[in-house]
Amino acid sequence: MPVTVETPIEKWNGKVREVTLGATQAEGGTRTSTVTVGGSATLPFLHFEGSVPHRPVIAIQIQDVDPQDWSPALRAAWGDTTKDVVAWAKKAAELGPDLIALNLRSAHPDAGNRGADEVAQTVKSVLGAVGLPLIVYGPGVAEKDNDVLVRVAEVTAGERLAIGLCEQGNYRTIVAACLANGHIAIARAPIDVNIQKQINILINDMGLPLDRILMDPTTGALGYGLEYSYSVLERLRLSSLQGDGMTQMPTICTVGEEAWRAKESKVSEGVPEAWGNYAERGVIWETITATTQLQAGADIVVLRHPKAVGLIRKTIDLMMAQ
Amino acid sequence: MALSGLEIYKLLPKTNCKECGQPTCLAFAMKLASKAAELSACPYVSDESKAALESAGAPPIRLVVIGAGNKKIEIGNETVCFRHEKTFFHQPGIVVRVKDTQSPEAIAALVQKVSDYSVERVGIQITLDGIAVENASGNAQTFAKAVELVKSKTSLPLVLLSQDAATMEAGLGAAGDSKPLIYAATSENWEDMAALAKKFNAPLAVHSNQGLSGLATLADQISKAGVVDLVLDPETPSANNSLALMTQVRRLALKKNFRPLGFPMITFPSRFASSPEEETIVAAQNIAKYSGVIVLDNFDPTLVYPLLTLRQNVYTDPQKPIQVKPDIYTFGDPGPNSPLLITTNFSLTYFTVAGEIEASGISTWLLIADSEGMSVLTAWAAGKFDAEKIAKAVKTSNIVDKIGHRKLVLPGFVAGMSGEVEEELPGWKIAVGPREAVDISAYLKGIWTPN
Amino acid sequence: MDKSGVRKNPDGKCIIVFKPSGKIVEAEQGTLLLDAAKRAGVEVQTPCGGFGRCGRCKVQIEMGEVARRQGPHLTQAEIERGVALACMTVVKGDVIVYVEPKEVTRLAPPQETTAEKIALPIACEWQRNPRIRKYFLNIEPPTLADATNDFDRLRRELKRQAGVDNVFASLQVLKNLPTVLRQDEWNVTAVLESDNTDNGNGSQPSRLINVQSGDKTKTSWGVAVDIGTTTVVAYLVDLLTSKVVDIASAYNGQINAGDDIISRIIYSQRGDGQSQLQAMIVKTINDLLIELGGRNRVKLPEINEMVVAGNTTMTHLFLGINPKYIREEPYVPLTTHPPIVRASELGIRINPEGGIYAFPSVGSYVGGDIVAGVLSSGTFQSGKLTLFIDVGTNGEIVLGNADWLITCACSAGPAFEGAGVRNGMRAVPGAIEEIWVNTETYEPTYRVMGNLPPQGICGSGLLSSLAELFVSGVIDKGGRINRALKTPRVRVGEHGAEYVIAWASETQHEQDIVLTEADINNLVRAKAAIYAGFSVLVNSVGVTLADVEQILIAGGFGRHINIEKAIQIGLLPDMPWDRFKYLGNTSALGAYTTLVCQDMRLLANEIAAKMTYLELSADNSFMNEYTSALFLPHTDTTAFPTVQSLLDSTRERLALSGTSVET
Repeated sequence: MPVTVETPIEKWNGKVREVTLGATQAEGGTRTSTVTVGGSATLPFLHFEGSVPHRPVIAIQIQDVDPQDWSPALRAAWGDTTKDVVAWAKKAAELGPDLIALNLRSAHPDAGNRGADEVAQTVKSVLGAVGLPLIVYGPGVAEKDNDVLVRVAEVTAGERLAIGLCEQGNYRTIVAACLANGHIAIARAPIDVNIQKQINILINDMGLPLDRILMDPTTGALGYGLEYSYSVLERLRLSSLQGDGMTQMPTICTVGEEAWRAKESKVSEGVPEAWGNYAERGVIWETITATTQLQAGADIVVLRHPKAVGLIRKTIDLMMAQ
Repeated sequence: MALSGLEIYKLLPKTNCKECGQPTCLAFAMKLASKAAELSACPYVSDESKAALESAGAPPIRLVVIGAGNKKIEIGNETVCFRHEKTFFHQPGIVVRVKDTQSPEAIAALVQKVSDYSVERVGIQITLDGIAVENASGNAQTFAKAVELVKSKTSLPLVLLSQDAATMEAGLGAAGDSKPLIYAATSENWEDMAALAKKFNAPLAVHSNQGLSGLATLADQISKAGVVDLVLDPETPSANNSLALMTQVRRLALKKNFRPLGFPMITFPSRFASSPEEETIVAAQNIAKYSGVIVLDNFDPTLVYPLLTLRQNVYTDPQKPIQVKPDIYTFGDPGPNSPLLITTNFSLTYFTVAGEIEASGISTWLLIADSEGMSVLTAWAAGKFDAEKIAKAVKTSNIVDKIGHRKLVLPGFVAGMSGEVEEELPGWKIAVGPREAVDISAYLKGIWTPN
Repeated sequence: MDKSGVRKNPDGKCIIVFKPSGKIVEAEQGTLLLDAAKRAGVEVQTPCGGFGRCGRCKVQIEMGEVARRQGPHLTQAEIERGVALACMTVVKGDVIVYVEPKEVTRLAPPQETTAEKIALPIACEWQRNPRIRKYFLNIEPPTLADATNDFDRLRRELKRQAGVDNVFASLQVLKNLPTVLRQDEWNVTAVLESDNTDNGNGSQPSRLINVQSGDKTKTSWGVAVDIGTTTVVAYLVDLLTSKVVDIASAYNGQINAGDDIISRIIYSQRGDGQSQLQAMIVKTINDLLIELGGRNRVKLPEINEMVVAGNTTMTHLFLGINPKYIREEPYVPLTTHPPIVRASELGIRINPEGGIYAFPSVGSYVGGDIVAGVLSSGTFQSGKLTLFIDVGTNGEIVLGNADWLITCACSAGPAFEGAGVRNGMRAVPGAIEEIWVNTETYEPTYRVMGNLPPQGICGSGLLSSLAELFVSGVIDKGGRINRALKTPRVRVGEHGAEYVIAWASETQHEQDIVLTEADINNLVRAKAAIYAGFSVLVNSVGVTLADVEQILIAGGFGRHINIEKAIQIGLLPDMPWDRFKYLGNTSALGAYTTLVCQDMRLLANEIAAKMTYLELSADNSFMNEYTSALFLPHTDTTAFPTVQSLLDSTRERLALSGTSVET
C-alpha cells in the first residue's frame, strides 16, 4: 500500500520585517544600489513553506586604523590595503559583498582617540569610494560612540546607514541621531531573547520606526558559545513568525569579529596537531560560524576573510536556488 | 503526544504514599512528564493508566544503534525540532567513506587516521564515529575484502554501501556480527535487503529519490516485513530541498507521530559540494538540522575539527550548560604584575568575561573556580562560589608562583564576600571588580593596580 | 426639550450648573466637564492629570445628558446613579453637576491600635476544643487525716471539679505550687494545655503550665506571630473570645545581618552567628510582646501560648537549629514538623511553660508561613484553580485546588515591604500608601496612612509610585528615569537619578522623600521574580495563566493592594479584576487560626503533606521568565493588553493636548 505524505506546513502569523539599507540619489543618499533584507515568512531557506523574498546578505568588515591585533592569517589575506581605509573599502567592494561594515576603531581611546569630525570625514570618504550601503560601528565606548556616531549620522544624513551599537545601557543618543538623519539603528543584546526584545521596544518607543531597526543578538563563535546565539536566532525567528512585532526585525551577526577572536583562528603554535592547518583554520572557523548562523536565521553576516566571503556566498546561492 | 504533569497526575492513584520516592503523586507525575522517573516505581498504578501512559510515552523517532563493539553510533529518539525546546539527545555519527577501488594501503592508512583522530575540547575527547565502505568496484569479493581490511584496522562501527544484495551479503559476511548499517534498501532491492538486515541483525538504511511519499511507502513496507531499525535517506538533487525534506521528516515524526518516517536520517554532504570546504559547510548544516549519520568523503583535520566542535556545541543540553575547566586562563602575555580575576566555570560566564578581557587588550590572569557550571549569583546563592571555594581555587591553582602581587579581583556581584575571602586567604588583598562584564575593560585600564 | 427634561440650546451652547456652589458656565457641546469646571472656577481633584487613571475626579450628574468614556473606575451601579469622571465625560446638553466641595479622604484609624475581631477564614468551632483551659478550683486544705501531697491534691480536684484526668507538670511549675496554693486560702487557677486534636492517638495527658492564686479565669491570652524575613507581625489574641485585641509589627532584627535568607544562612555560619540571629529574632518578638502587653495591660506571663509561622529558615533560626543545609543542594531542612517547645527554652517572655508551636513546612524554601497562608486562604478547599501569591521577601506561590497543590518560592527581596528602598518603610501611620502622578506636569499627589505628614513609602505606596511613574512616562519600560524631563521632581542625586515624591517641607523628618533609579530596579526585580515564579509554576503542570480562576494575594503591602497598578507594573497578570482578592498577612492569619482552633493543626499537617514543591533553581525556564519579566510591564506586551492600551491612549491624548512625548 503506498503511503501518502502530506507536506507538514506550519501556519505562521507573521514574518520578518523588510529593512532597506542605503539610499540612492533619488532616495536622498548617494549609494549606487540598496540592499533589502528580511521579509521571510518561514524558517531559514524553507521555500516549501513560505516566501523568502530576500537572500541573506554579506557585509565585509573593515576599519579605519590598521588592525595590528588581527590574526596574522587574516592580515595576510588583505596585505597592505588595511593601512588605508579607502583603499581597503575599494578592495573589499571588489569581492562582491552586499554591504561594507566600517568600524570606527580610530575613535577608541586606545587606538588614536580621533575626534568626531575627523572620523565623520573618514565615513564620508568611504562613502565616496564605494557605492554599496554602509554599516558603521562606533568604537564601542559609550561616550565616544555617542559623540562620534551623532556626528557621523549628521554628515551622512539621508544615506540610510545602519549604525551601531545601541545597547540597553546606551541607546538614546544614537537612536535620536538615527531618527533625525534617516538612518537605521542596530540594537545589540547579550545573547538573550528577552533583552533583545526589550531594547527593540525601548528604541521603538523613542519613535524610530520598526523598519529602521536591525537586531544584533550577539554572535558566539564556533566553540565559543555558538550554541547560545544559534538558539537565540532560532527563537527570534520563531517569535517573529508567530507574530510578535517586536522581534520581527532582521538580524545582523558579527561573525568575522567573533570567529577571528577564537584561539583556533589566532594561534598557530603550541596547539594540538588535530586542529589541522593554521593557514586554513580561521577561514573554516569563520565559514562554519556563518553557515550555522544563517541556518538559524541571520539576515546579514558580517565577515572578515575574503575566502570566507566566497564560500558563504556560494552557500547562500545553494540554499536560495529554486 | 507527551502528556503534561497534571494529565499524568490524573492517571495516578493520588494517595501521596511516597513509595515511589517522591513526596507527592504530583511530584512523581511531573518527574514522569520530564522523563526523570519510571512508571514502574509506582506500585499502585492501575493497568488502565499504565497502558495509557505507556502508549503516550513511546518515542516518535526510533532509537537506532549502529555497531556492536564499545563504540556504537546511537541515533534517533529525538523529541524536539529546536534544541532550545529541550535538547537534542543523540548526536549524529560522522563517518568517513572509503571505496573498495582504493588500494589496500590507502584504505588502511585512512582508516587508521580516522580511528586515531581524537582531540580534547572543554574536557571532552571528541572523535570520529565510523567508516563507510563503498562498493565502487561492482565486485562482491573486492567489497568483502575491503570490509575485512577495514574491520581489521578499526573497532569503529561500519556503514556498508552497495545497492546489490548479493554484494551486500558478502560484505556483511566479512563484517561478522558487528551490526553495520546496511546502505541501502531501494524500491528495487528492498525485499532482499530486508532479509539481510534480519539475517545479520543489522540496521537498514532506506533510500528513495521519489519524495517523501516514496520513502514512506518503502519504509512502511520494510517495517511490515519485520525490520524495525531503519535509517532514512530522502535523496534530492538540491541542497535546500534536502533541508526541506529533512525538516518535513522531523516534523511529521514529532508533530504528527507519523510512524513510517519515525526514524533517524543519513546524509552525504558531498552530493552538494564541489570542494572539501563545501562538503564541510553542507555537513555543518546537516549537523544542525536533523542528520543522524553524516558520510564524509574527505578526511582533513582542518575540516573535521570544526565539524566535531560544532556537533558538540549543537548537542549541548541547553538546560545543562557546558562548564569550562577550573584552571588559570591567560589573556595576552600576563606577567607577575598582571591583574588576577576570578569567576565561575559556567561557560557563558567564562566566554563573556574572557571576551571582555580580550577586548581590553590588558594581559590578565583569569582564575576559574569550580562552581559546578553555575553563574556567579546562582553559584553564590547555592554556596558553590563562597569564600572557601574561592580560597581553594587560589590555593590549588599555583597562581602564587606566577604573580608578584597578592591581589584578587572578585566579581562585583559578590562584593559582600570580600571580607570572608580575606579571612580565608591571609596576606591577600581582595578587590571588588565590576558587576557586569562589559565594565571589565574600564576596570582593568582605569582602576586596577597591583597595590 | 429632550427626554432628560433639560433644554438644549439651539446654538449648541450648553449651560452647566455646578452644585453646591451654584457657579454656572456656558460651554460648547462636547466640552469636557473637567474643562468646564476649571472655567467655572470649581476645583476638581485630578491627581493623574485628567487621564482617567486615578478615578478621583468623580462627580455626580444630577440632571442632563453627558457622554462618558468607559473606564475601570466606575462600577455599573455608579454609572446608573449618574456618577461620572469629570476628566472622561463630555456634556451633550445643559447639565447640573454636583461636585464634592473638597475631597474627603476619611481614613480608618490605623489598624495597629484597633481592636477588631478577625473573621476566621474557615469554619472552626473554636470553643469546642480549646488548647488552653483554665480552671478555678477551691481545694480542701490538707489535714492529718488527708495528707495527700500538694500536686496530687490539685490533680484530685481537677478530676473531681473539672473532670480532667492524667495531668502532669514540670518541676518549674511544681516548685511554685506550695506557695501559690496557700496564698489565697487554697483558691487557685490551674492552667492546662491539652492536645485534644483528633490525631488518632487517643486522649493525651494534659500539661499543667501554670497555677495562680485566686480566680484568673476571666482572661486568657495567646499570641500569633508571623516571622517574616523582613517584617515580624504579632497578634495579641483573647483566647476566651478568639478576638484579636491588638496587632504590632516591626522589622525583623536580623535585617542587619542580610536582606534575604541566603545572607542570613551565610551569617549563621560565621562564629556565633547562629546564636546571634536567634537572639535578634527573640528580641524582636519580645519587644513586640512588650508593646502589645503595655498597650493592653496584659502581663506577659499571662500569655500562655504562642504560634509562629515563618519560612523554614526563619523557623530554624528562631528555634536555634542550624540552617546550613537548607542552602546546599539537595536543600534539606532538619525537620518540617518541629516539636512544640516551651517559651523558657527560647527566652520568649510569655509564661515560661507556655508552648510555642511552629507551623509545619513543606521544604527548605517553602515554610510554615505559606502553609499558614494556604490554610487561612482556604485554597485547599476550593474547587477552583487558585493561585495564591505571598508577595514577601521570600515570595511564595501556591497553585492548586482541593485536589492538588504545587508550590515554589522565589527570592523577591524585601522591596515590597519597604526595606532596601531609600525611603521605604513599613505600612504604619506616616507611610505614603498611594500616589498619583500628573501625566502633564509630572507633579505627584499622595495619601498618607493616618493623615500625617509623610515619613516614607510603604509597599502599596511603592507599588503605586512605580506604576504611576511608568504610566506617566517619568520612567521608561526599562525602569530608567527620563533625565530629560523638564520638572524639578526629576534630578540626579548622589545615588543617581531620582524622582522627588515629597519635598522636605512636607515631610515629618524635613527631608525629601524620593524614589531612586536603584529603588526602581529593586522593585522591578522583585516583581519580576514573583511574576516569573508563578509563570513557571503554572507552566510546570501544563496549564496557562488564563486557566487560573482566582488569584489570592497575601503580603505586607499595607491595608490594600491596588490591583490595577499591580497589573500596570506587571506584578500580577492582566486578568479581570474580579479574579483577584487581597487577603493581607495570611501567614499571621494562619498562625492566629491555629492558635484559637487547635484542630487546624491537623489540617496544617495535611496541607503540608499535600503540597508538591517545585525547586525553581532546578527549573530551566525560570531565568528566561525572569529576564522576560524584568521590564515594564513585561517583555511580552501582548500579555498585558489593558496596560498597552492605557499607554497608547495616554500617548494619544498627550499628542492631542500638544504636550510633546519625551524621547
